[in-house]
Amino acid sequence: MKRLAKVVIAGEGGQGVQSIADILAEAGNEEGLEALYIPNFGIEQRGGVSVAFVQIADNLIGSPKFEKGDVVVALSDRAVNRVKCHVGANTIFVYDNSLIEIAELPEKTDDYIEEEGECRPVEKEDQPVSLPDKIGKVIAVPATDIAKKELHPRVFNVIILGAVVEAARIVGEDSIKIAIENNLGKKFDKNPELRELNFRALQKGIDIVKEALVRS
Amino acid sequence: MERAIKEEKRVFMTGNEVVAWGALAAEADIMYGYPITPQNEVMHYWTRLAPKHGRKFLQTEDELSAGFTTIGGVLAGRRAFTATAGPGNILLQEPVSMAEMMRLPMVMAIMQRGGPSTATVIYSQQEVNLTTSGGNGEALRIVYSTATHQELYDYTIKAFNAAWKYRFPTFILGDGYQAKMREPLVMYNPQDKGVEMAASEPFVGKEGKFGEGREPAHLRNAFSMEEELYEVVMEHIQDYNKITPQIVEYVSLGCEEADLVIVAHGIVSRAAVAAQEKLRREGYRVGFFRPITLRPFPVRALRKVCKSTSKFLVVESAFGQLARLVKEALFGLEAEMDEIFMPGLGITSEKIIGHVKKKSELKV
Repeated sequence: MKRLAKVVIAGEGGQGVQSIADILAEAGNEEGLEALYIPNFGIEQRGGVSVAFVQIADNLIGSPKFEKGDVVVALSDRAVNRVKCHVGANTIFVYDNSLIEIAELPEKTDDYIEEEGECRPVEKEDQPVSLPDKIGKVIAVPATDIAKKELHPRVFNVIILGAVVEAARIVGEDSIKIAIENNLGKKFDKNPELRELNFRALQKGIDIVKEALVRS
Repeated sequence: MERAIKEEKRVFMTGNEVVAWGALAAEADIMYGYPITPQNEVMHYWTRLAPKHGRKFLQTEDELSAGFTTIGGVLAGRRAFTATAGPGNILLQEPVSMAEMMRLPMVMAIMQRGGPSTATVIYSQQEVNLTTSGGNGEALRIVYSTATHQELYDYTIKAFNAAWKYRFPTFILGDGYQAKMREPLVMYNPQDKGVEMAASEPFVGKEGKFGEGREPAHLRNAFSMEEELYEVVMEHIQDYNKITPQIVEYVSLGCEEADLVIVAHGIVSRAAVAAQEKLRREGYRVGFFRPITLRPFPVRALRKVCKSTSKFLVVESAFGQLARLVKEALFGLEAEMDEIFMPGLGITSEKIIGHVKKKSELKV
C-alpha cells in the first residue's frame, strides 16, 4: 500500500506555522520516507496569512503544492478562508476553536468525490469565516486555551503539531520527538523542563484528535 | 583539496543549501554574488561553509559585477561560480556572452522567480528563454534543468565538470520552489562515486614563457574583421555540435505506446510524472518526456518520440518558453501540440490529470 499524506497549515505570522510544518516534514525524513516542506514565502512574511505545505510519502513526491489536503489546519479567521480551497471531501480539517468561531459547520459526507478544482485563494479582510459544503471531518482543538491554562502559551503550536500527527497518521511519535529535539534540543539542554512541557503539549494534541476520531 | 564530504550521508535541507554543498563537493574555489530572492541562501550557506573548507567569497555591487568577477576567477584558474535570479539573471547575460566568446568555464545557479521585471520573489519557469538563449551571440552554453534536491546536488557537481571539460558557460537552472523547499537527498564525495573531476587551470599568468615550451594565452572578445569573427564563432559552433551528444540528457517514460506525450521540465516534470503514472493506471495511454538539458536540447530523442506518438501536451510555469524549444526540435515533423501554460504559477498533477481527462478519446 502506497502511503502519502498531504498537509496544509495556515495561521498568522508568529503563530509558529512554519516551525511545526518543518518539524513534521523532518519527522518524515527521520522515518526514511520522502518528505517535502515548502513555505508560502511571498509578501505574507510581512504581515498576512502564513501558509506551509507538507507532503510525506513512500515514493518521490510530485509538485510541492497541491489542491486538496488530507489534513488542513487553520489557526486564524483569515487562515480559514485562505486554505478552504484545499479542503475536500476526504479532508480532516483542524482548527483552534479558542481563536476561531465558525458559524455553521458543514455536514459530514460519506461519498467520495474526486475533485480537481484549482485552488485560487483570495484574501479579503471582511469575508465571513466559512468552510466548503463537502468535508471529511472537522476537529476543533482549543490549543490556545489549553496552552494558557494547562501548559504555557508558547507551546500552543506544539499542541497543533500533535493534532496534525494524529490526523495524518504517517509519522510515529518517536520520529516527531527526534525532529523536535533536532529543532529545539539546544533550548532543552539549557532548560530540561522545556522538553517535558513540549512533549506534554504534543501528547495533548494527539489525545484530542484521537478522541475526536474515535467518536466519529 | 580537502574533501568537503567525508562520507555519504542522507540530509534534509533547502535547495539553496544543496547548491552551496554541491559547489563545495565540486571543489569550487570561490563564489561571487549579489543578493536576490529566492537564491539568497546559496550565498548565505556558502559564506558559512567556505571559511571552514578554505574556500572564498566576494560580494559584488551587482550581478554584472558578480558575472565579470566570476570570469576573473576563472581566468586565474579558479573554479568560480555565481548564483542569481530574475532581473539578476538579465544582468548576468553580458558576462555570460563574454564567457561564450572566450570559451570560459563559468558556472551559474539560477533560481527562477516570477517575471517580467521585479514581479514575484516566489517562483516561475519564465527564465528559460533568457537562460538558454540570452546574450548576443549563438547561446553556446549548457543548461541543466533540475527537478529534485538530489539532482540539484548531482548537477551542481556536473556543471563544474562540464564547464571545465568543454569550456562553455554552464547553468544549473532551478526555481524558487526548489530554492526554498526542504526534502531529503544523499550527499556524497563525487570521487568516491567514480565521477571524473575535470581539472581546472589558469587561462592567464601561466608558468614559463610563451614560445618557449608553451603557446601564448590568446583570449579575445573583440575582433576587427568580419571574417576573423566568423571563423572563430564557426569553430565554437562546431565544437558545441560535436560535444552535444555527450551532454544531452532527457527522461522518456512510456512514449513508445502512447496516444499523448506530456512534456515538462524542472520541478513541473514531477507533477507531470505523477500525472502520467496515475493516468496510466486508469487506462490512459500517456507518455512522459522531460529534457534535462534545455541547451543543448535533446532534439534527436524528441523527434524519435514523435515518430511513434505525434500528440504532445507541453506543461510549464511560463507562457510557451519550453514549447518554443519543443516546436523548434520537431520542425518539419507532423505533430499536434496542446498546452498548459501557467506563467509564474505552480502546476499540480491534479491540474494535468484534469486537463488530459477532458480529452476522453484518449481512454482505452
